[in-house]
Amino acid sequence: MAFLEILKVSKIFGSNTVAVKDFNLNIEKGELVSFLGPSGCGKTTTLRVVAGFETPNEGKVYLGGEDITDRPPNQRHVGMVFQAYALFPNMTVGDNIGFGLKIAKKSPTEIKQRVEEMLSLIHMSGFGNRYPYQLSGGQQQRVALARALAIRPQVLLLDEPLSALDAKIRVALRAEIRAIQQQLGITAIYVTHDQEEALSLSDRVVVMNNGYIEQVGTPFEIYNFPQTEFVAQFVGTLNAIRAEVVDPASNILRFEGQQVQAAQGLEGLHAGDRVMIAIRPERLSFAADGRKPNVLDCSIENITFLGSIVRIQVKIGNSSFSMDTFNNPFLELPKIGEQTQITCSREAVLVLSRGS
Amino acid sequence: MNIETGRGLGAWAFLHSRKKRSNEVTRKRGSVWAWIILILGILYFFVPLFSTFEFSMRMLKGRYSFEAYRVAFGDSRFYHDFGFSLLWAAITIAVSLLLIVPTAYWVHLRLPKLRPAVEFVTLMPFVVPAVVLVFGLIKLYGSPPITLVGTPVLLIAGYVVLSLPYMFRAVDTGLRAIDVRTLTEAAQSLGAGWGTILKDVIFPNLRVAILSGVFLTFAIVMGEFTFAALLVWPAFGPYMEEIGAMRAYTPQALSVVSFLLTWGSIGLIQWVARGAPGQQAQIAGTR
Repeated sequence: MAFLEILKVSKIFGSNTVAVKDFNLNIEKGELVSFLGPSGCGKTTTLRVVAGFETPNEGKVYLGGEDITDRPPNQRHVGMVFQAYALFPNMTVGDNIGFGLKIAKKSPTEIKQRVEEMLSLIHMSGFGNRYPYQLSGGQQQRVALARALAIRPQVLLLDEPLSALDAKIRVALRAEIRAIQQQLGITAIYVTHDQEEALSLSDRVVVMNNGYIEQVGTPFEIYNFPQTEFVAQFVGTLNAIRAEVVDPASNILRFEGQQVQAAQGLEGLHAGDRVMIAIRPERLSFAADGRKPNVLDCSIENITFLGSIVRIQVKIGNSSFSMDTFNNPFLELPKIGEQTQITCSREAVLVLSRGS
Repeated sequence: MNIETGRGLGAWAFLHSRKKRSNEVTRKRGSVWAWIILILGILYFFVPLFSTFEFSMRMLKGRYSFEAYRVAFGDSRFYHDFGFSLLWAAITIAVSLLLIVPTAYWVHLRLPKLRPAVEFVTLMPFVVPAVVLVFGLIKLYGSPPITLVGTPVLLIAGYVVLSLPYMFRAVDTGLRAIDVRTLTEAAQSLGAGWGTILKDVIFPNLRVAILSGVFLTFAIVMGEFTFAALLVWPAFGPYMEEIGAMRAYTPQALSVVSFLLTWGSIGLIQWVARGAPGQQAQIAGTR
């Protein structure tokens, strides 16, 4: 049995608002799993079910082999970090961190020692006597993290903890959260709608949509081998297009009058069937000699400079494709309107849905 | 620069300075009116108060003195009735807090749809006059099965109802200023039960709001007449009325004392609210 097991959990609000449906997930000890999806996909509801703030209509939650489905939140030993920090305004930083320990009736010496330990962990030693309003957003969220960790919870739940912070602090703090999680070896669930955050932090990512799990996998698997059209579209930038199967035996497809070959098998499909295929922008490149597989005729539509990369918009027939290339000072870019050829490997052609 | 342009610029400068002058005149006029209204307001409020005070000082013929105050404070019934009012106020405040804070908290946390209904109920004392309310209570609780007439329970219950709009609104405003749900959940996730959450998280963050409700309730109970008189309990309100019917100067002195009591309560709210960490943190929470 996994350390944390979420078994067939469903949550319906009111009479028919399905927030989560048939959610199944096993999380191992010390693992950091992200729930990734758009607003309203059910990721926070699932987290709240684990925390005990929502009771599922169906399903069970097991923690360390024990059924905690009906256990009240204050008896689950689960730490939670909220998007809005939720520090107690009337208490100092030290009192906030020590709150859970005081409730657990730890001795004042132990509380003091643990608070110091936690302050040092979040690099805020000396801030113990300040009030939350005297801290910046990033510092407040660090304190919230320390407060949740001070009770040494079995699972740490983080509900979009960085959403209220600015971009630079977000990047720094997410690295800090990951480092602390790994240092303490704590099991964690991280809810976010930011794909970059989920991919950079997690051991595994659960992509959710409309209350269902779309795909569970490592960040590498999620990005490179999306199993559904939604995952492919939601995670990263993608060129998605409908294509027609030409030769299923050789995995050859056609779109906009041009042929591409996929590495992925087209078993069960017949010539003339319609499928959705996708190619990541960074998998496309200019075809220098025209002899590579999957060479496509196109015209340059637009060029956008994005700092480390340059995004080139090309037109293939009536469809627009994005192609990313690394920026370098000596990059020779074609002119807008110029006819050229682009190419990609067979592995870059992802067949997402069949028979559509 | 040609002549035409020069003329144009001159005209523009002339119009601009005229407009500027006209704006200044309007602003000055507005400012004068504001002062007039402020002075009228002060006169409307303070002249009667000052007149009352001035009249209360004229007890001894031919000179000003605090004789009326000496007489008022020298009356043993003053202390007796004032003491009772203090007692009623303390009990009313305790009952109101125990009843309203958890109710308002629960409505915010779990039953937000019920808020308009609860608000409506709390406004009833504004709609139903105290006389009607007290006669209703006497009729309902004057005979078995529940007989409360003759016990202070009915008086306290009446005072709690009277103070409902003030206490509920004060607490409700305080609750709106903090993220009740997230703070509750944060405390729960740290192992806190309902009692601890209310005692250590909610109450301290509502300190200023609760104090506002407490002092308003205090001021209401200290000056209340109808309930105490009709339920025949000693209190400051009926005492003032009785003295007013018999004497000329002492009631004025008591009126001034009553005013000072209310102002003292308001001043205390302001003083306590100053520098409360919760208040400042609420502002910082939105960063």
